[in-house]
Amino acid sequence: MIKRVADALFRWYCHPDFYPDIKGDLEELYADHEEAGNGAQFRYLMDVMLLFRLSLLRPVFKNSIIKDTGMLRNYFKISFRSLIKHKGYTAINVIGVAIGLAAFLLINQYIKFERSYDSFHKDPETIYRLTTDQIVDGQLGTRDAMSFNPSGKVVTDEIPEVSGYTLTYNIGNVVVKKNETLINEESVKMGDEHFIDFFGHKVISGDASTMLVEPNSVVLSRSKANFYFGDEDAVGKTIHIYSGFDRDFKVTGVIEDVPQNTHFKFDMLISISTIQQRLDDEGWRAFNYYTYLRIDEGADIASLEEKMIPIKDKHLSPESTLFFNLQPIRDIHLNSDMTFEPEVTGSEKSVNFLEIISIFILIIAWVNYINLSTAKAVDRAKEVGLRKVIGAAKKQLRTQFLIEAFIINLIGALVALMITQLAAKGFNSLVETELIKNVWVDSDFLISLVIFTLVGTIVSGFYPAIFLSNFKIINVIKGKFRNSKSGVGLRKGLVVLQFTTSIVLIASTLVVVKQVDFMRNKDMGMDISHVVSFRNPRPDDGQREQMREKVKVFLTTLSQEGSIVGTATSTSVPGGESDEIASTSGGVKIVGMTDRLDATTYIQTVDDNYFDLLDIQLLEGRNFQKDLATDSSAVIVNRAFLDRFNISDTKVINEKIQFGRDPENDKYHIIGIIEDANRTTLKRAAEPTCYFYDPVLHSSLVKLSPNAMKAGLEHIEKTWADMFPTSSLEYTFIDERFDRLYKEDRKFGTVFSIFSGFALVVAILGLFGLISFIASQRTKEVGVRKVLGASETHIVSLFYREFLILIGIASIIGVPLIFFGMNNWLDNYAYRIDFPWLVILIALSVVILCSLVTVSVRVLKVASLNPASTLKYE
Amino acid sequence: MKKYQLGEFEEIVLLTVGVLYNEAYGVAIKSEIEKRLKRKVSVGALQSALRRMEKKGYLESREGEPTKKRGGKPKRYFTITAYGKEALKHSKDVRTQLWDAIPKVALDLKFT
Repeated sequence: MIKRVADALFRWYCHPDFYPDIKGDLEELYADHEEAGNGAQFRYLMDVMLLFRLSLLRPVFKNSIIKDTGMLRNYFKISFRSLIKHKGYTAINVIGVAIGLAAFLLINQYIKFERSYDSFHKDPETIYRLTTDQIVDGQLGTRDAMSFNPSGKVVTDEIPEVSGYTLTYNIGNVVVKKNETLINEESVKMGDEHFIDFFGHKVISGDASTMLVEPNSVVLSRSKANFYFGDEDAVGKTIHIYSGFDRDFKVTGVIEDVPQNTHFKFDMLISISTIQQRLDDEGWRAFNYYTYLRIDEGADIASLEEKMIPIKDKHLSPESTLFFNLQPIRDIHLNSDMTFEPEVTGSEKSVNFLEIISIFILIIAWVNYINLSTAKAVDRAKEVGLRKVIGAAKKQLRTQFLIEAFIINLIGALVALMITQLAAKGFNSLVETELIKNVWVDSDFLISLVIFTLVGTIVSGFYPAIFLSNFKIINVIKGKFRNSKSGVGLRKGLVVLQFTTSIVLIASTLVVVKQVDFMRNKDMGMDISHVVSFRNPRPDDGQREQMREKVKVFLTTLSQEGSIVGTATSTSVPGGESDEIASTSGGVKIVGMTDRLDATTYIQTVDDNYFDLLDIQLLEGRNFQKDLATDSSAVIVNRAFLDRFNISDTKVINEKIQFGRDPENDKYHIIGIIEDANRTTLKRAAEPTCYFYDPVLHSSLVKLSPNAMKAGLEHIEKTWADMFPTSSLEYTFIDERFDRLYKEDRKFGTVFSIFSGFALVVAILGLFGLISFIASQRTKEVGVRKVLGASETHIVSLFYREFLILIGIASIIGVPLIFFGMNNWLDNYAYRIDFPWLVILIALSVVILCSLVTVSVRVLKVASLNPASTLKYE
Repeated sequence: MKKYQLGEFEEIVLLTVGVLYNEAYGVAIKSEIEKRLKRKVSVGALQSALRRMEKKGYLESREGEPTKKRGGKPKRYFTITAYGKEALKHSKDVRTQLWDAIPKVALDLKFT
C-alpha cells in the first residue's frame, strides 16, 4: 500500500525520461530489502521522498500540463504592465469599483434582512393574520391589525380552507422577580396551546403541544432561561411575575431565541389561558388580540374574506361596519398600513429606494471604468495599431482589454471585501442587527462577489474592448489619431448620468434629513420637555381601590418637592406606538347635531392636571374639575374630532355625544375643546380623540424642574422604592419616546446619507480621472492658445464651460426626478414639509463646486506648462 | 579549476562508475560505495548526481535489458567519458599538488 502510494507520487513528479530506470533501481532495492525483511515499504517511501530533487523533477510548470498558455499569459502580462504603468488611473478605477461594490453589498445585505421578515416560520406562505377593517358605505376606514378573541376558532371551524389558528396577545412589559431584584421584561407576549407548533418554533426543552395549555404557564427563550436559571433545565421551575398577576408562573418550555426578523418578537410567552376570564368576558365585544390562521395553499383569499361576512353577521351584527380581513404574514413588516401593530413596521418604499441607490452606485463605478478607458484610448491607440500590424486579430485585442477590466474588477472586489469587513461593525450598529459577521467566510457574500466581478468585467469591459479594438491601423500609425470624435458623445452622456445621480442622491438625502428633523422639532401642540413618564404599579386582584389611594398619595408626595413642577396621570402617554391607546369603532354622534359617524374614535382618560402639565391649549370651554361630580360623564374633545364632523368649535359646548347605535347608550356632555396634540408619530395625523375624566390612572407623567432634573429623578426613585417595593420603576422621558418612534426614519436617513456620500466620492473620482485625461490630451491645444495670447484663467474657464453645460443637462434631468420621487416619499407622512427647493440648490452647488475644484486642479497643471515644451514636436 | 567542476560526492560516484566498469548501474553503484566507504547513500542523492554528471558530460549511459526483479524496468548502465576521465585526472592532480605543497614540518608536527 505504502509502496503503491509512493510509486504514484514518484511517477507524478519524476521526469519521464528518468522514470523507467530509477523505478527499476527502486524495485531492485525493494526486492533486496524484502528478502532481508527489514521494512522494505518504509524504505521505499523514504527513497522516493529523497528522490524529490530539482534535477530529477518533471518540468511541470513549463508547458506540459496546461497546453498553449502562452497567449493567455501574455494577456495577463501586458495587462499588468499597462496597469502598473498608469498607476493613478488604475488606483482610481480600483477604488471606484471597490467603493461601489462594497456599498452595493452592504445595502443589499440590509435589504435582504428587511425582506426576510417572518420567512423563518413553518410554511410562511400559508400563514395569514386575521385583521379587522372598518368599511362604511363601501369606503375603507381604519384598518386594525387586531381581531376578536373567539374569531380564530370560529373561522377555523366554519371555513374548510382554514386548517388551524393561534390566538395571541401583546402584554408588552411585565415585572419579574429574580432572586431579590425586580427585572422589567420588555418583550412579553401571550399565546394559546397551538402557538409553538403553529409557527414551528424550535423547542429545546418541554412538550410543544402541552406547554401553553395550563393557566400560569410560561415559555422562555433560550437566553431568558439562561438568564434566570443558568445552565440548569428551566422546565418545572417557577418565576414570580408581578404586574397585575403577583403569582408564580410555571416554566413549561424553553425554545430557541426568536430571530430579529419577525414582527412578533418575544422573550417570554405566557399561556393565554391565564386570562381566560377576561377572554370570556370580552367575547365579541372587543378586538384586542392578534389571530393567525393557516390557510390551505392555493385557496382564494378574496373568496375566503367573502365567506367570513356571514360569520361576522352572525357574531357581531349585520349592521356592524367591522369586516374580517386576511393579511399574509410576510406582508406585515414592509406592507402594512394598519393601526395597532405590535411594533413599528418598516416601509417597502424606503427599502426600494435603497435598492435603487445601491444599483446606481454600482453603475456609477462601472461607468467610471468605461469612461476612463475610452478616454485613455489615445494612449493605447499606437499599441493597438502596432499589434494589428503584427497580425493581432480583433478577438485577441478584445480579450486583452477584457482581461484588463477583469483584473481591475477582481482587485476592486477584494478591496471591497476589506472595506466591507472594516465597515461591518459600524454598519451592524447602524441597523441594530448583526447582519455581517465575517465576510471572508460568508458564502453568500463571496458568491455575490464572484458574480459581480464577472458581471462587472462584462458590463464595464465590453464597450471599451470593442471601441479600442476597432481603431483603423492606418489612422493610428500615421499619428492622425488625436481627438477622435468617436466616443465623445457617449462619454459625455455617461458624465451626465453620473452628475444626475449625484445631484439626485444629495438632494434626496437632504430631503430625508429635513423631514426627520421637521418631525422631531415640530410643534406637537404640547410641551413635552422635562417630562418623564412611567407606569404605575398594577393592582393585585381586589386591591384596586387601595392601589388608587396609594398612587394618589405617591403623586401628592412627589409634587410637594421643589424639583418637581407637577404630576398627572393618564391612560396613555404621548410618544407611544399606535397600539398604546384605546379606541372605539362603534360609531359616534353629537346628539341632535349630527348623524352617526362610523369611524374610529380614540379614547383617552386623563386626570385634571394632564392638559396643564403638557401645556395643551384649551380652545373653548373648561378643563375637568376634581370636585365636580358631574365630570365623570363629561368629555373633552379635540379639534380633529370636530373637524371630522365639519362643525365649528363654539356651538358644541354642552352638547352631548353618544357612542354606538343604541339610543339608550350613555350620553356625555362636552365641556371643552382642546387643540390637537400629536400622541404618536407625525407619520399619522392627529387622532380624533375624546378625553374622559378619572382622577387616578395607570400611567403617570411628572414634569421636572429644568434646573433640578437629577434631584427630581432621585426623589421619584426614592419615593417609589419606599411605597412600592414589589414593582420596578421604569421611567422614560417623553421626548425620548418620540425619538424612538422615529428610529426607523433616522436609520433610513443615516443609511441613505452614507451611501449618497459613497456615490458622490465614486463620481468625483471618475470625474477626476476623466478630466486628467482630457486635459493631457488637449495639452497641445492649450499650448497653441497660450502662444496666441490666452491667459491661464481663460483656458481654465474654457474647461469650466464644458463641464457646466454637462451639469446643466444633468440638473434638467435630475430635478424632476427628485421632485416627483421625494414628493411621493413625503406623502407617506401626515405632517410633511413642503418640497424644499433649497436642497436642489445645495445639491447643485455641491456638485458644481466639487467638479470645478477638480477641473481647476488638473487643468491649471496643464495650462501652466511652458508652450515651448508642449509644442516642440510639432 | 573552474573547467572541471567536481564535488566530493560526485568524484566518488565517478570513481565507482570507473571501478565497476561495464556493470555500473544504480543499485550496483550504491552498494559498491556503501561497501567500500562504509557510508549510506540514498537513491535520490546518487541518481541526482548521476544525471547531473551526465548533463555535464562526464558520464554517458546506455539502456540495459529489463528484468523481472526490477518490475520489468530496464537497467541504465553508466560509463565514464573521456571528458570525465580528464575531470578525475585533474582532480587527482590538484590534490597531489596540494599534498606536495604541504611543508614537511606541518605534517611532522601532526604526527608527533
